[in-house]
Amino acid sequence: MIARTLTVKARLGLHARAAARLVRVASGFESRVVLRRLDGVALLPADATQDAGVDAKSILSVLMLAATCGTQLEARAEGIDEEAAMRALDELFADAFGETEAGIAK
Amino acid sequence: MTTTSEEIRCKGLGVSEGVVIGQVMRLHDGTPHIYRWRISDAGLELERQRFRAAVSLARERVQATKAYAEQRLGKDHAYIFDAHLLMLEDPKLTGDIEREITAQHANAEWAVKVVGDRVISLYSEIKDDYLRARVSDVEDVMQRLLVALSGAYDETRDLSIDAVIVAQDLLPSAVAELDLRHARALATDSGGWTSHTAILARGIGIPAVVGLRDFFRRAKTGDRIIVDSNRNQVILHPSEATLQAYQTAPSSRSKTITESHDRSPLLTTDGVEIVVRANVEVPSEFEGVGRYGARGIGLYRSEFLLAHRGVFVSEKVQQAAYEEIARLAGGDGAVVRLFDLGAGTLRETNDSQTQEPEKNPALGLRAIRFSLHHEEVMRTQVRAILLAARAGGLKIVLPMVADVSDVRRARAIVEDEASKLRQQGRESSAVPVGAMIEVPSAVLMAESIAGAVDFFELGTNDLVQYTLAVDRGNDEVADWFRTLHPAVLQSIDRSISAAGAAGIPIIVCGEMASTPAYAVLLIGLGATELSMTPAAIPRVRRVLAGIDSRDAQEIARFCLTCSTADEVEDLVRERFTQLWPDLFSSSNLPAPRK
Repeated sequence: MIARTLTVKARLGLHARAAARLVRVASGFESRVVLRRLDGVALLPADATQDAGVDAKSILSVLMLAATCGTQLEARAEGIDEEAAMRALDELFADAFGETEAGIAK
Repeated sequence: MTTTSEEIRCKGLGVSEGVVIGQVMRLHDGTPHIYRWRISDAGLELERQRFRAAVSLARERVQATKAYAEQRLGKDHAYIFDAHLLMLEDPKLTGDIEREITAQHANAEWAVKVVGDRVISLYSEIKDDYLRARVSDVEDVMQRLLVALSGAYDETRDLSIDAVIVAQDLLPSAVAELDLRHARALATDSGGWTSHTAILARGIGIPAVVGLRDFFRRAKTGDRIIVDSNRNQVILHPSEATLQAYQTAPSSRSKTITESHDRSPLLTTDGVEIVVRANVEVPSEFEGVGRYGARGIGLYRSEFLLAHRGVFVSEKVQQAAYEEIARLAGGDGAVVRLFDLGAGTLRETNDSQTQEPEKNPALGLRAIRFSLHHEEVMRTQVRAILLAARAGGLKIVLPMVADVSDVRRARAIVEDEASKLRQQGRESSAVPVGAMIEVPSAVLMAESIAGAVDFFELGTNDLVQYTLAVDRGNDEVADWFRTLHPAVLQSIDRSISAAGAAGIPIIVCGEMASTPAYAVLLIGLGATELSMTPAAIPRVRRVLAGIDSRDAQEIARFCLTCSTADEVEDLVRERFTQLWPDLFSSSNLPAPRK
């Protein structure tokens, strides 16, 4: 199992497009991939507990993280291709889900 | 029951051009009523199978919609359907629904509703406005499942040839999946000039009246209806007399489409050449540029590049879009209008959520003011245009300048970006800069602005609104919105003269240019370059090719001396029908006021 802290850099947070990309990437791996908010304020589905985090292959769960720009998430991957899965997640978050070149400079 | 229905006229806002007589096709208004019934133990497996079949039908439909939207609107606008697909594939959702069916012995519709409502109520607690708005995507997906379960799915796509779509509101997804080749017109209760419905209607070139408020509940599928976008109204159950008046109108749409291929120079009967360019916004309009023989693009409204409100597209994406526009325009070139955005655009994206919404956005931080205020947005756009200009002739037009100081500040930024690109060794091309004349101060200061720009564009829509201080979306003041007001004509006259004195070209790109009667007056006031939605070109060509510009000039001069819009309209009706009886009739002239 690998765990890593990732920061949401997409301007609008994990909105529909970003979440869709995340789910597509996560679903490409065998490993179980779980995301959890480090500040513990997520709206979790009734059958998941806070500590367990949410399934990164479920778009409804990912959207329920309600992660805005700047939110820190813990990502865990567990399975035969866990390293590759985590690398892919890392890249996706670093690249702000492909929205890096947004026109407004902070 | 042989009572004939009373004719009902409803006022709205015509957001495109044209008149259509057709039959109402009501579009689903929200969720159908859901009933619960009990499924016996023996029937549970069958019910779950029925649900799975509905999921796969819904997925097929989303996939088709996605492909259709990609082709019509571009990839950036179709991504939302990818999210919808993932929701339908989400075991969390489908698993919960199947469990609900099993545990509660519930029919699939009921289970979808219960689980859907649960998800929606969770999402509704999200604090961030933008993320919370995803509720509408969940609703969209639930709706698809319910419709798939009801088996009524293809209803909306199977349009009869003269269907007029009547809806409370048309969501982007509904518009994208409609078979618009068979939609002849649109009529909606909500919406305004810049609503998605309006933009698409103009893009496809069909009449649309929006903001009808209370029309949807009165109309029934199959009712006879006239959508008159030119007069901002729809007529339900038109009387025989009304129908006849409309049917004898000379310029019906179907005719103009077949006579579209004229690319020869457009000359008035006395030999004055009129250059007709295209206004474009959405990709579906692009093919019309060539088809209707436009001489390049007179106005590219770049706002459509913003995939959805608040996201600013990168320099690279913008550059590619502007290159496409340049290639499309060919040797005649294209004018890119800088983003015409309001402050509301940015509020959702930044941490400035504490700000109050502007009380009066039309007079607020919008257009060039917005760009100058958010300089990075403007710099990115300008850079993309400079880089793209290598692919073909591009010009920049600054929206809503108030006086020459706006022009100076904007030009300084354009020059600064150009010199930075040179220093970085990136290849770009020089780009002429023009000013949109659309607010009264710019008209009054037109001489001094003309000395500081390479060309003028006359945005007549805003010019009418700002000159007369009338909100075109507000029903209560509709009587005061008069395009042919002498104050408007004098403003146009003054702008054209100022451009002439400075020796710079002026393109009229507002809706006036696309309305034949108004176009004649514009020619009379000295305009020689018009830019309009491509579908309007054949109609305007036909009329302008049949008039003598000296007659137009004489009438226009006379109009300038009138003191009210009524006087101008009376004069136009009388003189136009007298001089050009085969070109003008009551159907394409301003209607008399009571």
